[in-house]
This record gives sequence, structure tokens and C-alpha cells, in this order.
Amino acid sequence: MGRQNLMTEFIKGLWKDHPLMRQLLGMCSTLAITTTVINGISMGLGVTFVIVSTSFFVSIIRKIVPPQVRIAVYAAIIATFVTIVDIFFKANFPKISEALGPYVPLIIVNCIVLGRCEAFACKNGIWASVWDGLGMGLGYTWVLIVLGTIRELLGSGTILGKTIMPSVYNPLVVMVLPAGAFLLLGFLLALMNRLEQKKQVS
Amino acid sequence: MKETIKIVSVLTIVCILCAFLLAFVNNAARGQIASNDTKKIEDAIGKLAPLFKKTEKLNIAGEEIYKLFDAKGEVLGYAFLAKGDGYQGVIKVLAVINPQIDKLEGIEIIESVETPGLGARIKEDFFRNQFKNLKVSVPIECVKENITQDNQIKAISSATISSKSLVNILNKKISELKKQLANQ
Amino acid sequence: MKDLILIFISTVLINNFVLYYFLGICPFLGVSGKIESAFGMGVAVIFVMTIANALSWLIYHLVLVKMGLGFLAYLLFILVIAALVQIVEMFIRKFSPPLYRALGIFLPLITVNCAILGATLLMVTKNYNFIQSVVYGFAGGLGFTLIILVMAGIREDLEYADIPSVFKGAAITLVTTGLLALIFMGFSGLISA
Repeated sequence: MGRQNLMTEFIKGLWKDHPLMRQLLGMCSTLAITTTVINGISMGLGVTFVIVSTSFFVSIIRKIVPPQVRIAVYAAIIATFVTIVDIFFKANFPKISEALGPYVPLIIVNCIVLGRCEAFACKNGIWASVWDGLGMGLGYTWVLIVLGTIRELLGSGTILGKTIMPSVYNPLVVMVLPAGAFLLLGFLLALMNRLEQKKQVS
Repeated sequence: MKETIKIVSVLTIVCILCAFLLAFVNNAARGQIASNDTKKIEDAIGKLAPLFKKTEKLNIAGEEIYKLFDAKGEVLGYAFLAKGDGYQGVIKVLAVINPQIDKLEGIEIIESVETPGLGARIKEDFFRNQFKNLKVSVPIECVKENITQDNQIKAISSATISSKSLVNILNKKISELKKQLANQ
Repeated sequence: MKDLILIFISTVLINNFVLYYFLGICPFLGVSGKIESAFGMGVAVIFVMTIANALSWLIYHLVLVKMGLGFLAYLLFILVIAALVQIVEMFIRKFSPPLYRALGIFLPLITVNCAILGATLLMVTKNYNFIQSVVYGFAGGLGFTLIILVMAGIREDLEYADIPSVFKGAAITLVTTGLLALIFMGFSGLISA
């Protein structure tokens, strides 16, 4: 496969087929952990690592896995890499591991990962799958960072733990609560639809 | 039949490989994780009882309690871990108590997943400092208004549940501790 | 007994899986369009979640902890869930073909329903005993069903509402969920620690 094609596989995850905004996959962790920017970054990178490595392995074994058990096999591979990420965070970044809590193991059931295995990696070559996974992972990461930034700024008045808002600012606590997450993501989706509509009109 | 054998064997092989990989990674990281945990507890004790030089781990009924000594070998108090349900998940707190077991030296939150901006403020100094020199010969009380007794602390506003849970966790553990240490 | 009732109420209403832990959002968005399919999904989740919690508890406490293999927990939990889902799928296909058609692709996706794995993981972190875990799984599924049914009811009405075109679809659903979450926060006063 040419370099051009690999590039396309990579780019599409960033906007056109964005896993979260377009396909509505991986909502749970998105909403749950984006209370701060740093959580968003670490979660995004964790998910990216898991998608890339599982896409790689699923693509390798795609010809020998009987279709009846493919989901179970994918799940086993994903669970393995997620456990690795979990152990890695625990060993090297205990603070982050604590903040993400049960949402690290929940990457296993992040539909994006399984979705890519099922929709792409089991039909495509190794390199295409890796690039596809990388694009999807990074596409996911940037939205997490955007959400994390807005929620941390409005909800706690800080960014990356540093106080940004003037002291008279009274934090909108609702932004860090579950309700705020749903509302914000709803409005972001609407904004994205608006941008698409404008594009089509012009 | 051939199909079944293929299904079973592929699934088994994948699982075995995964388990081996995990065992390998886990082995490599286990030491680091354990030392992180110990370091965290030691750091917390260091903050609460800066004079301590030596700890002795008492193993009472499977629970870890640390007896703290200063440089001269005098007993400074006991450090213990208490754990229980908070508003959202488990709160794990380390507390240091004086040798007479009637006054807290202070607490450090080791683990919590309370709501950021609300319950998570149990980690902040303004709240934790209330536990310094708090009387615990009678159970701690958590009040919403002003403090009138020396066994009371003021709950974080709009995070009463987290505050109360923490107090309950401590009360339960302290009453156990009294019994356990009396038996020693 | 008291602790079981407490677990039950707090899991259904206060720490609801969808509104509080954000678990199971994907199927929630996917099948909450019609009350019928929402109900089917809910029942399947209750069933799978209760049994998954029971089995995972047994595996975790009787095998993994005893043998010091805690790090295999995620792998085994997901396999238990995958197998269970397969069984439920065969069961529904046999006994209720219309329901099977309605749930379509969402049944296999129950495997990746975060709520189910989430319940097993939370049951481990919360250190529940066997009975508590089973109640927790059942209540979790019930809470999920409750929310997905409420949402389906609202969405059936939303069909006829005049909403801005940019909000159509997932966006308005998320905003509505946010409002629901705000409403359910009112329940948190039900239990005082």
C-alpha cells in the first residue's frame, strides 16, 4: 500500500470519521474522566496505545481467527493491553492512575477499540491498521483535551492545576459534575453539525 | 468437529499468550508499584509526624498499624490506614493518633474518587487541618454549622456526604483500634 | 439487610450507572429511540449484569485472589461477559425473533457495554461480599433500564418537537441526558451517610 493511502487512513480519524463526534463511540470514558486536562491527555494516550497495539495484533491474526469467536479473541487481546497500560500507569504515574480510577480498565469496553478491530483491522493489512488506529486514537485524544480544558477552566477555574481565572470567578461546579459533561458534549456536537452544514452550503 | 477444535484451540492459544505477556509485565512492574505504595504511606506519615525516625509495623488481625518512634526511641503515636465508602467510591485515609489514643495528630487522604470541586476538597488543607489535635476519646462529629465542641469538625459545604463518610470511616477505625491496642 | 437496601437504592437512583458513572452510554444512545427496544435492551442488561457479577465475584475471590493472580482479572472478566452475552443472544434469537431483529447489532455490543464490565470492576473496588455483589449487579441493570426507558419516552416525543436542525440526533439526546442527570442529583439527599 502506498504512502498516500496510509496517510488517508491516518487523517480520516482526526475529523471526517472522528470516532467520537461522528461515530458516537467511546462516550463513557470521554464524559467521565474529562474533569481535568491532564486526565484527558493521559486517557487519550492510553487509548491510542491500546488501539494501535490491538489493531496491529488483530491484523496479524485476522486470517486464522474463526469468525464465531472473533469478539472473544479481540476482547482478550484488548484486555491484555489495557492491563499493561494500567500497570504502566500504576508503576510510573501513580497520581494519574488514581485520578482515572476504574476508567483505565474500562478502556477494554471502549467501543472505539473494538469498533476498529471489527470494522478495520480484521480486514486490512498491518500498516494500514496501525495508521488507522493511530488516527482514531489521536482524534479521540484531541477531543478529550478540548473537553478537559473547558470543564477544568469553567468548573474549577484552573488549567493543568494552575489557577487561571481571577479570584472573583466563582467556579461553575456543574461543569465537573456528570450533568455538565452531558450538556457540554451535546453543545459541542451541535457546533460540529453547524460547521458541517456551513461547509455544505458554501 | 474440525471447526470446534479450531475455535477452541485458537481461543485457548490467544488466552495463554495473553496471560504469559501479562505475567511478564506484572512481574517487571510489581516492585515499582509496591515501592510507590510504601513511599506514599511513608511520605504521609512524615508530613503528619515530622519527628518520627523509626516505625514498627504491628500486625493486628491482618491490619497494618505502624507504631512511630522519634530519634530517642519515645513513642510518638500510631499511624493507621482506614478505608470505607465515600460518596462516589472508596476513601482511603491515613491518620496519626497520639500514644494515649485520644487525640488525632492529623490525616492524609491516600485515595479518593470524590466529585472534583466538591467532595474532592476533603484533600485540601482547610478541611484536613480541622483534624489536627481533634479530640477522639468520644466519636468525632461532623456539623454543618459552627463548631461548638472540641470533637467536632465542620463539613465542606455542599459536600456533606463526603465529609460525613470520612468521619464515619475514621470513627469506626479508631474504635476498633482502641480495642486492638488494649489487647496488646 | 439494611446494607443491601442501601446498595439497591443508591445504585438505582443516586449513583446511577448511566447518569453518574457514565457507563453504558453507547447502547443508551443507540437503542433509546423506541420504548420497545429500550425495554428489551434493559432486560438483557439486567440479566447479563447480575450473572456476570456473580460469576466474576466467584472467579475473583475464590481463584484469582487465592492464587495471587489479580492482574488477570480484567482478562477473565471480559471473557466471562463475552460468553454470557453469546448465550443471551442465542436465547433471544430462539424465543423472540422480533426482539432479536429490533435489538439488531446492539446485542453483540452488550459485550462492550461498559456498564457490565464497570459493574464487575466496581464490585471489586467496593469490596462487596457475594450477596452484595449480586444485588449490586441487579440494581445496576435496573437503574440502566430505568434511565433508558425514561429517555426512550422523551425521545419518542422529541420526534415531534421543533428543535434546531444542528441539535437533531445525538446532540439533543445528550443535552436531555444532562438535564436528567441534574434532576437525578436531587435523589442524592435520599441517603445520608
